Amino acid sequence: MTTADTAPLTLDQINLAYPDLFEQGRHHEAFKILRREDPIHWNEGTEEIKGFWNVVRYDDVVAVSRRPDIWSSERGIVGSEPRDEQEAVLAANGNGKMLITMDPPRHVRLRRLVNKGFTPRAVASWESHISEITKGVLDDIAPKGQVDFVTEVAALIPLAVICEIMGVPKSDWKLMFQLTNKVLGGGDPEYQTDVPEEQRGTVEAARTTVNIGTMQMFGYFAQLLQQKKAEPGDDLISTLIASEIDGDKLTDEDILWFCFLLILAGNETTRNAMSGGLLALFNHPDQRKKLQDDMSLLPSAVEEMLRYVSPVTHMARTALQDTEIGGVKMKKGDRIIMWYPSANRDEKYFPNGDVFDITRSPNDHIAFGLGEHFCLGAGFARLEIRVLFQQLLTRFPDIRQAGPEQRLRSNFIGGIKHLPVEFTPAK
Amino acid sequence: MKVIVNHDACEGHAKCQAAAPAVFEVREDDLSYVLVDEVPEDQVENVEKAIRLCPRAAIAWAKES
Repeated sequence: MTTADTAPLTLDQINLAYPDLFEQGRHHEAFKILRREDPIHWNEGTEEIKGFWNVVRYDDVVAVSRRPDIWSSERGIVGSEPRDEQEAVLAANGNGKMLITMDPPRHVRLRRLVNKGFTPRAVASWESHISEITKGVLDDIAPKGQVDFVTEVAALIPLAVICEIMGVPKSDWKLMFQLTNKVLGGGDPEYQTDVPEEQRGTVEAARTTVNIGTMQMFGYFAQLLQQKKAEPGDDLISTLIASEIDGDKLTDEDILWFCFLLILAGNETTRNAMSGGLLALFNHPDQRKKLQDDMSLLPSAVEEMLRYVSPVTHMARTALQDTEIGGVKMKKGDRIIMWYPSANRDEKYFPNGDVFDITRSPNDHIAFGLGEHFCLGAGFARLEIRVLFQQLLTRFPDIRQAGPEQRLRSNFIGGIKHLPVEFTPAK
Repeated sequence: MKVIVNHDACEGHAKCQAAAPAVFEVREDDLSYVLVDEVPEDQVENVEKAIRLCPRAAIAWAKES
């Protein structure tokens, strides 16, 4: 490591278009500087990408989230826009077609087709089943005493739940894990298995990985869709097949984009909240002891994990008209990126925000976003995390870190790829 | 003052009911209903909190007509 890597960051060194600061774990340092010195910060573009505004304060993120009529999702919600025309078209492929990249009024109608399956009441009815799934996963690791918490625990629970909700058969769950890694983790060389080894780690390799993963995902769901049409089940895909908006059935393409979104959103996010949450407990033994001494603190601890980890780091928006944020004028067409890990440590709402405090109150974090695009699966995420830690800390009270964690190279998902843990084996 | 819940957005998170139980009630259909015609003076602060905390930004003061 050179001196430049360890010297304190300065404003002019901050460029959030690239995953470097995230991979180095220095993003919070960058966000703190931005909140203090330039909370609506113009991020210069490059030859490859257009410039954008970084929005880092809680109030500003909330204000943008409350105005989907001004701040559109239809020009993409991830990162900055490519300059290259062809690449921009490719990147915009799913825009306007998924809930997450759709504006009102269509977003309102499409979300209403499915949101009854995600209300607190609906989620609560899954608790005993999610407990069973979790118990099964922990049964499998119990005799081992040493595992990779990410791939053997945290990845498997949300994967099982979202696959069951959607009606993906168990024989295909492993494939879903591999494909979601390619699509959302495509920038990380570990998942660039379709690219010759010497080319891994490049921008080109990332793009190829994401594209191949996306095509394979669509191919898979196109087949599953035909099966569900022939034999409808009690699952979300079958519900979508039977659904209508204003008398019109959804097209196959509509349903495939829905599947694509749900499998990604249901997998990567909760996985990283769990892994990041456990790591936070490892790194804060006092908080961990407090929790294990009094497990009634768990719901509050889950909220603090969500705030502290903020697994989805950003959403991008594009201005549909001239407007302003935090007193800074923006032009129609300007791109902004809202940074959730920053909003969730904003000094105004979270005193000592860098401190992991499982009894924090109030804790009105926005790890799930807010408003029109509030995370549809938030209730499932909360329940899955709570059930996991309830069982994990009860069955393996001495669980500890057994090696360094490996972070995902991404500025979109605050991810952990591997987290070796050990514990006293049990039956 | 009157408060309204946008039922196109409401998904039954019940943060409003927790913040102002005298004003909001989440029913069997997972939608929040306003229990009062006019929000009493002593509930204004609670309603403000409900507006702020609603994950779906579904609650707002009615515009004076």
